[in-house]
Amino acid sequence: MTGFWAIFKRELFAFFVTPLAWVLIVVFLVVQGMHFFLLVDHFATAVDVASDETPLSAFFGNTVLLYLVLFVLVPPTTMRVFAEERRSGTIESLMTAPVANAAVVLAKYAAALVAYVAMWLPTVLYLVILGRTGDLDWHTAASAYAGVLLVGAAYLSLGLCASALTRSQFLAMVWTALVLLVLFILGVGEFVTREGTTMHDVCAHVSVWGHMNDFASGIVDSRHLVFYGTLIVLPLFVATRAVDAWRWG
Amino acid sequence: MITAVHLTKRYGARLAVDDLSFSVGKGEVVGFLGPNGAGKSTTLRILAGFLGPTEGSVDIAGHDVVSDSFEARRCIGYMPESAPLYPEMRVVEYLRFRAELKRVPRASRAGYVDDAMHKAGVVEVAHKRVDHLSKGYRQRVGLADAILARPPIVVLDEPTAGLDPNQIREARALVRDLGREHTVVLSTHILSEVEACATRVLLIHHGKLVAQGRTEDIRGMQTATAVDFVVRGDAQVATGAVRAVEDIAEARIVASGERELTRVRATFAKNVRAESSGGTAERCVAALVAAGVGVREVRPAGGSLEEVFAALTADEGEKEGTIARAGSRGGDTDRG
Repeated sequence: MTGFWAIFKRELFAFFVTPLAWVLIVVFLVVQGMHFFLLVDHFATAVDVASDETPLSAFFGNTVLLYLVLFVLVPPTTMRVFAEERRSGTIESLMTAPVANAAVVLAKYAAALVAYVAMWLPTVLYLVILGRTGDLDWHTAASAYAGVLLVGAAYLSLGLCASALTRSQFLAMVWTALVLLVLFILGVGEFVTREGTTMHDVCAHVSVWGHMNDFASGIVDSRHLVFYGTLIVLPLFVATRAVDAWRWG
Repeated sequence: MITAVHLTKRYGARLAVDDLSFSVGKGEVVGFLGPNGAGKSTTLRILAGFLGPTEGSVDIAGHDVVSDSFEARRCIGYMPESAPLYPEMRVVEYLRFRAELKRVPRASRAGYVDDAMHKAGVVEVAHKRVDHLSKGYRQRVGLADAILARPPIVVLDEPTAGLDPNQIREARALVRDLGREHTVVLSTHILSEVEACATRVLLIHHGKLVAQGRTEDIRGMQTATAVDFVVRGDAQVATGAVRAVEDIAEARIVASGERELTRVRATFAKNVRAESSGGTAERCVAALVAAGVGVREVRPAGGSLEEVFAALTADEGEKEGTIARAGSRGGDTDRG
């Protein structure tokens, strides 16, 4: 893993030094803050609330806002990662240093993931506020955050792979957005296909919506873990092969 | 230090490097010379380990660039064409990052960075952001990066491209200095550049090695085409006398100066070889003196690297013209 730390540190630096990062973070926090406010407001004033519904499960699951936010957040975060280096030529300096291909990919991925976690970190405050005013199941909260982390990690991995496969940032962004969209729409298929059909099973298996509902209500299903594990590892593997392929192109 | 054997690189159907074999010894400063698209950059990228050869092999200080790529890369400091850098970093931050990446031990990192900044002359901009630097300084930061880890071999792709005449002169001086401590391989499409920096030249065209040798040898490969005389006296008499000499095809007045001085160019006939051109020039001087014309200066004309190149790669007439012009312009500024 030669070169991992150096590249990881530089990537984080590069991310947080660009205005784009701060714009994304601000937009993200504004949207999430409003979401949280509206939810709490709803639960405080609504008369007939289903007994198994909590602000927590509604914040993380059963809401389109999470995906909308990820959809806007992930492609611009990852588009730059490889495409920009290839466009500007800095990739030549990077790859002619004694570094391992896997180290380059993983360092860039780790940095994107840390940036993603940093975006979510302030939202923990919402839980603290909730916990002060009422009962909060911290185990469910942990499961919900695990879900957020897994979904984000998978999306970032896909975005990174797209960035390694094209020289253009714009194309990388479009590709990532497209893949995420297709994945989401397939998942929605769970609710429109007839139960018992293969299509329904497939859709249910890849349904990010369904997964997040489970995570948000404290269910950590091993099938979900395997699904996201695959979605993280496979694109990273492809990205590493793509980096190797540049040399032979 | 570097041995390339039957190096070939294909991009799809296009052959960028075609069966190139060469070697570079320790302490040499070798210039790769060729027009744009000749395969220089591709060759250097293979040396630096950025690209893999389609066929053939390259040995860098005992390490194969494919099977032992990691160690080979540790032996090379490479500056890509136009020295791409991360724009958002400060110079010293960038060099520290590069030092870590190149596995300079933590304890000596600061020393290495300082040293490289001094040698490349970027100390005064150490705390400036890269995107605020001029082209010349960026190029120097690229050079600092190349020598940062004190590699035995330094590979520079077009180290003076895009620089102004003063910066070109400085960059050349830097490259010459590098030659004392490192084995240097550089590429350029400007001929006077290799004359200024390199001890040996490899001429590349269409991915093939068309000639190699010391700068002098390459120049010597060209048969002199003409000889210039600065004469005092009647210019018409002078041209007439020279024209009458055997093996002289043409004599004409190139320039007239003050105090009856005239520059006359005598062009050799096609059959005159390099080794006999001296004798012909001698006979011209004798004829001039016999005609009562004073000879102030005799200088062979032609035989520059520009002309060697034009002759060796004659199939690309138009490009040669631009190269020769670019080369002579660079040469003038260097002398000026």
